[in-house]
Amino acid sequence: MQIPWRAAPRAALSSPLTLLVSVVTALLLSFVVAAAVLHSAASGSAAVDYQRERLCEEALHPSLEATGIPHEHVAGKIQAVREAVPHHEPLIGTYVREQRADFGGLPTEAKFGYRPGATDHLQVLEGGAKDGLWVPKSIADTIGLELGGRGMGGRLPPVTAIYADQIDPLPEWWCSERHFVIPNVLDRDELATGVVWMPSAESFAALPPEIAGVTDMSVRFPADVPRTVDEAAALLAEGTARVAPLTGDYNRVVSPLVLPVENARQTVANVRSAVLGLTLISLLIGLAGVATVTVQWAQRRQSELRLLWVRGAGPLALGGRGVLELGLPLVVGGALGFGTARLLLPVYAPSEVLPPGTTTTAAVAVVVVVVLSLVVTLATGASRTHRMFQVAGRGNRLRKVLTAVPWELATTGLAVWAWDRVQHSGLSTTTKVGALPRIDAAALAFPLLVVLTAALVTARLARWALAASHRAELWSTPAAQLAIRRLAAGAGPVTGVLLVGVLAVGTMAVGTAIAGSQETALEVKSGMYTGANSYAQIPSEVTELPAALRGNSTIVGFVKQYDRTALVVDPRTFRDGAFPFEIDPALLDEPLRVGNVPRREVRLPGLPPIAPTAWVPTFPKLGTAGWVVPVDRISDRDEVGSWYVWSSRPLAEVTAALSADGVKLSRNLDEKSRAVQGLPFLTIQWTFGFVTALGAVLAVVASIALLLAVEVRRRQNALSGAFSTRMGLLPAAMLRSHLLELGAVAGAAVLVGLAASAVSSGFTVPKLDPAPRLTPGPQVPDVLPLLVTTAVGSVLVVLVAAWIAVRAVRSAKIGELIRG
Amino acid sequence: MGEHVLRLREVGVDYRTPAGAVTAVSDVSLDVPATGLTVLAGPSGSGKSTLLRVLSLVERPTRGGVELRGMGTARLSSGARRKLRRRDIALVLQNPADNLIGHLDVGDNLRAAAQAAGRVARVDELLAQLGLPGTAGWKVSAMSGGQQQRLSFGCALAREATVVLADEPTSQLDTSSADLVLETLADLARRGVPVVVASHDPRLIALADTRFDLRNGALAA
Repeated sequence: MQIPWRAAPRAALSSPLTLLVSVVTALLLSFVVAAAVLHSAASGSAAVDYQRERLCEEALHPSLEATGIPHEHVAGKIQAVREAVPHHEPLIGTYVREQRADFGGLPTEAKFGYRPGATDHLQVLEGGAKDGLWVPKSIADTIGLELGGRGMGGRLPPVTAIYADQIDPLPEWWCSERHFVIPNVLDRDELATGVVWMPSAESFAALPPEIAGVTDMSVRFPADVPRTVDEAAALLAEGTARVAPLTGDYNRVVSPLVLPVENARQTVANVRSAVLGLTLISLLIGLAGVATVTVQWAQRRQSELRLLWVRGAGPLALGGRGVLELGLPLVVGGALGFGTARLLLPVYAPSEVLPPGTTTTAAVAVVVVVVLSLVVTLATGASRTHRMFQVAGRGNRLRKVLTAVPWELATTGLAVWAWDRVQHSGLSTTTKVGALPRIDAAALAFPLLVVLTAALVTARLARWALAASHRAELWSTPAAQLAIRRLAAGAGPVTGVLLVGVLAVGTMAVGTAIAGSQETALEVKSGMYTGANSYAQIPSEVTELPAALRGNSTIVGFVKQYDRTALVVDPRTFRDGAFPFEIDPALLDEPLRVGNVPRREVRLPGLPPIAPTAWVPTFPKLGTAGWVVPVDRISDRDEVGSWYVWSSRPLAEVTAALSADGVKLSRNLDEKSRAVQGLPFLTIQWTFGFVTALGAVLAVVASIALLLAVEVRRRQNALSGAFSTRMGLLPAAMLRSHLLELGAVAGAAVLVGLAASAVSSGFTVPKLDPAPRLTPGPQVPDVLPLLVTTAVGSVLVVLVAAWIAVRAVRSAKIGELIRG
Repeated sequence: MGEHVLRLREVGVDYRTPAGAVTAVSDVSLDVPATGLTVLAGPSGSGKSTLLRVLSLVERPTRGGVELRGMGTARLSSGARRKLRRRDIALVLQNPADNLIGHLDVGDNLRAAAQAAGRVARVDELLAQLGLPGTAGWKVSAMSGGQQQRLSFGCALAREATVVLADEPTSQLDTSSADLVLETLADLARRGVPVVVASHDPRLIALADTRFDLRNGALAA
């Protein structure tokens, strides 16, 4: 290799600014690509995590349940399981059905069970030795049972512990056994008991025949909780294979991960396809940035390149000279971008957990991008030197063609097509119940295409306006005239900065608006669907709330006949417990018609005939159809279908308070966070969260481009500025002219970006509704914080750029400038 | 080598400008001898620099042909012209800094110039010939304008080119620096290296073995 090429990497040190810009450009470019890969993969982990929280962690591995087994067959079945799965110790629960049991006092219905380790996961109230029966407090209290007592004429082991009855929500260890250990007391009042736990499998097998009738059995396989899609899929596949030989002997195979794995994969596909478009646009902008850096390098090294060309070096070799000088900064920037993307994962990605191989994939993507950057540097260097020396003076046809092509018409066409997709399918259709909709990436691209079109139109209008600006005569305001002339002189960089600036602001605003709308929509829809943060069904005779729930809960009756639904509310407490919504409290004192139900009188079981005159559009739980009746209009509470406590407190607090007050609970309870499948909302939220992150990267690119444009023209500006000030232009006017020049670019970018995002978000947000049957629809959130942040950021960048320009003017020595 | 190292036949060069085509050189035919100092003389704008670029195969003429050592170059590809430039031509530009690579030291500049032509520079010998002994490790920026321009001719020498061409080599130098360059040119010519210089410097014109006067892009009668 010849000396000029060999010395090129060291020569890069002669221009720290080019070095810095190259590093930052490659950093941002690699960050975008690596972040896209990491974000998509992390969204799968987040989807797994979200669904895992809604499932029972203890039984994620496929498991088996058998009901109605003769008691004498249980031991054999347990043995069969152990033989079939020798390397994976199962956790087997066995439960006899409720039978009348005699403990020497009052007779009671009791259910006997055995599950290894059960006594380690119960709250002991009395005793605690593990060699005897563990009896729930409800039974002990009902029949006056004490420690040491022996049932069935002494054929049962002695009672060695009395434990607190289990209530919902159950701890993880128990959640899979909910149907066996939580009695449905509102369904069968006489079975208001928990399980009497036997001390061993042998003692369970030896239960007296009177109580050892039909037995139910659960076979779980404790396993590590999967954190990624691959782990979940592996657990599902391995577990399915593991239980396959046994399935014939069991009524039910519980495989809770089937749909979550499918959904998580769909989430990854959805997010990946949705972010792909913008990532590619960002990639193109980044590569254009690399090309711009190379052009500036070629300009700075023009005399050396000309010398080498005169001595016989070809354009390709000269492009290679550029690669050798700029390559190392690009590689370093690429590495830094990859590191930054990995480090900032918790900031922009929905999960920090990455499937194995993701980091490698991201690294490969970064390598590809760095190689692309090097190719762009080579090609740009070669073509630039070719045009500068080999075909000098012949003009740049490619540039003319690229500028003349109406790109904005193409993006407008794409936007119209995307809008058609939004109109027809919104997101897309769900293929099966509970499955995630396959999100239409084209539909999601609509708001971004609107922003891109706005950016292209703005750039073209700015170019035309600057070309025509020589007609402007504003010498009465020298600062404005100077600003316009400087803008016109730098028309190319100005329109470039404007384009990226509009795209950055618009992208950030669209991302924030849509992500925010989905987050709010999930929260509000869930709240309106459940009616409250948490709810639990209670007996009709409960009319007073426990002390712990007063002020934060309310009692609500629910009546349903066919498709007609009504709520019975307590006007005094309703707003304490119900999900917050806007309503005049006085309206609750009278019957209410909600939404689109007919105006005529209606009769529903348990309610008096009602013909409400007052109307509200929506109501918690009822949505947009139903009636609301004040509780004082009810004559017989037992006639009302069912009664609930609605609370703003977590479910665990509600059930604990009710249980402590002696209120019997059913299995009919839940809380807002689990009531609605939120994954479709979250998928859009994650997608547009990433869009926001990309917008922020573009904003950094635009800011750097603005500062660079000022720095590149520093010498030229310094000369003209120094002359102007020596000819009488006041320093304040000079500063004003720079502020006007840069402020016009930044202000236009912010205004157009925000306007484009407001229009596109306004049209898109109501259409991007993953659960249209639930009210209310998504609404554009308050974007004032973003507006303020963007404005402050823009002002700071403009101030710094203006300072650089004015400082250059003030420190300029005209003599040196002219001579140089 | 024959009697002439370079020959121009009815060469014309036009440039496109916003105001239309401008003819910079019109129907020039001349023969550059294979030895001695040839000067293209004329006032600014007479077309001598354009003609020098055509002679050095840096620029293709709009019309006419250029022969280097008897070989026509009109139909040669860009690659073939580069090959000829690499092997046979050394061009010294007007601004001394444009002839040197600023981030390389003096010795490496000579070596780089030689390498480009596929030759090996005898740095110390060359620097002694140029009257710049002991400067091999210097930065180029540490030299005066005259020293830089002499080093530029040193680079041309290091390339062992068939012909050395120089564009206004003294125009940006003070008198004493220009003297050093004139001395170098005379020395080159004495050693039999064909040198073609475009200049309007009377002292340089006075050194010419062969002289072509240009007026308005054409040879003066």
